[in-house]
Amino acid sequence: MDEDKASLNKPTELPEELRKKPIIERGAIDLMAIAIFFLLITPLLSVHRVTDFMIFCIFAMSFDLLYGYMGRLSFGQMLYLGTGAYCCGLFIKYIGGNPLLAISIGIAFAGMLAMLLGLIIVRTTGACFALINLAFNHIGFFLVLSPLREITRGEDGFGVSASKLGVLNFGSRPIMFGFVLLCLLLVYYCLRRLTSSPYGILIRSIKEDETRVRFLGYNTFLYKWFTFILAGAIAGLAGSLTALNYNYVNPNAMDVHSNVGVVFACLIGGAGNLYGAILGGVIYMVISNFLPIYIYRWEMFLGFSLLIIVFRFRMGVWGYIQRFWEYTIKRKVVPRLMKKEAI
Amino acid sequence: MIYTIVYGLTIGAILYFISIGLSLTFGAMRVINFAHTLTYTIGVYVLITLVNFFKWCFPLGAILAILAVIPIGYIIERFIIRRLYGESLDYTFIATFAIALIGVDAIKWIWSVRPYPISDPIGKYLLFWGLSLPIYRIVIVMIAIILFFALNIFFKKTIVGKIVVAALEDKDGVRCLGVNVDKYFSIVFILGSALAALGGVLYAPIGSVHPYMGLSVLLLSFAVVIVGGMGNLNGTFLSAFALGMVMSITARYWSQGAETMVFIVMAIVLIFKPIDI
Repeated sequence: MDEDKASLNKPTELPEELRKKPIIERGAIDLMAIAIFFLLITPLLSVHRVTDFMIFCIFAMSFDLLYGYMGRLSFGQMLYLGTGAYCCGLFIKYIGGNPLLAISIGIAFAGMLAMLLGLIIVRTTGACFALINLAFNHIGFFLVLSPLREITRGEDGFGVSASKLGVLNFGSRPIMFGFVLLCLLLVYYCLRRLTSSPYGILIRSIKEDETRVRFLGYNTFLYKWFTFILAGAIAGLAGSLTALNYNYVNPNAMDVHSNVGVVFACLIGGAGNLYGAILGGVIYMVISNFLPIYIYRWEMFLGFSLLIIVFRFRMGVWGYIQRFWEYTIKRKVVPRLMKKEAI
Repeated sequence: MIYTIVYGLTIGAILYFISIGLSLTFGAMRVINFAHTLTYTIGVYVLITLVNFFKWCFPLGAILAILAVIPIGYIIERFIIRRLYGESLDYTFIATFAIALIGVDAIKWIWSVRPYPISDPIGKYLLFWGLSLPIYRIVIVMIAIILFFALNIFFKKTIVGKIVVAALEDKDGVRCLGVNVDKYFSIVFILGSALAALGGVLYAPIGSVHPYMGLSVLLLSFAVVIVGGMGNLNGTFLSAFALGMVMSITARYWSQGAETMVFIVMAIVLIFKPIDI
């Protein structure tokens, strides 16, 4: 009896490998790996193209936060990208050429729009969430195209030329590349920290079962709202960077049909994982940039590969890499992917 | 003003044809079918081919086009939709969208991207208090109203209709009675596809024909289904005509805003009456 009590009172010792502090933090290795990956593919493609890829990856991560982590499929994430692009571009065009200020304006406006619309959108789930996002995206596209034509120049779009800011000359490709890479790493790092914090666990539990989370006493609305705003703001960052990268903004930045691309990117990479989002973003951009050159019927190819993903390949590329790693290299038994519960 | 009303009713009728199938699949099978308007587009293209072949005999071409769509609807239902029952929503979204992509690309492959014009098959005008209304549009509205009553009889009187209505309420309950629900749902799916093709065939002479025409009308018919209530046939009828009127009245004063107005209505409806799937 006494012995038991003694053993209970004794502080439990951590296992050996957990107490050891790693020499470099894991986060730093991740960041380096991503940077090296993008630097390695640069000579294969071109600097401009890889910059484009990285911007898309930032956008894919913002979508992944909503879809992969919180389980809300949105068909209108382009609205926030477009808002970011337009606000950034309009700021440069009408007010001042400072690029950093323009980017923060883009992020702020996209975040504020998400804040306003989120009050309505976040209350819904499932199909309703997807369709209401689609509706707002359509309204935004229309606003840019027609009633605000005086400011946004309608279908033609307008040129954006940011002024130089010390070393930060967005006209030169390598500096743009470096800046976008820095943004990507920053977004990745912040989201990594956020999603592995208690907040991240909470939004993942909202994905699993929101009612139970509410039973535990959490105000799920606030968490969902915050996630929605964060996703909107990151999409706004991606939009601002797009405007600066192309030196040009037109309504394509808000096109409703482009939402499919980001959904596809997230699925092919593996939803619910930031690495998956980045990998999926790169794969999607490679497909959409190079496939039309080699395969004439590329939409059909995209359709068939989506069907295969949905029926056979649900974990995405990153999911399979992860499983392969744990199964063969670490010799861990991983349960097979369960069939999703019926709704 | 009379013109506006007639145009609104025509658009409403077309939206009604397309939305019935969508509403039933949405309500009964909990599958959001992005590929629904694929049959609409295919119907139109088959009609174009047949009309050239039959030397402008429009009704025969229209009937054959609708019949041609039925096997396509069956194939989609049997091999894709049937596997998606009870799956989570995002996968059904993506799988049906993939079918839509494949279908659009196949249409581009067979018929090329070039838009085709089709002229009004009746081409006569009804003179009425000094107004000249195209008879064709009136015929469309008449067909919609006849169809509404026919469907009501179908769902109230025939055994297939009764089973489907019961299954919309409680799928498991009907299955417990020993009825093979999936078989009836596939009949409903094919019926919906054929009606979508009917909508396309009737719309082709007054609209423009291009491979992406299905995708643009799909969003509108989603709005109709959401405003009218999923699986609610009378609601779909009313909301289709109401949204058709919204479109034509908006277009009268502000021509670019017509489609957007529909989405504003849909957003308002979703805010006050959220659907829960």
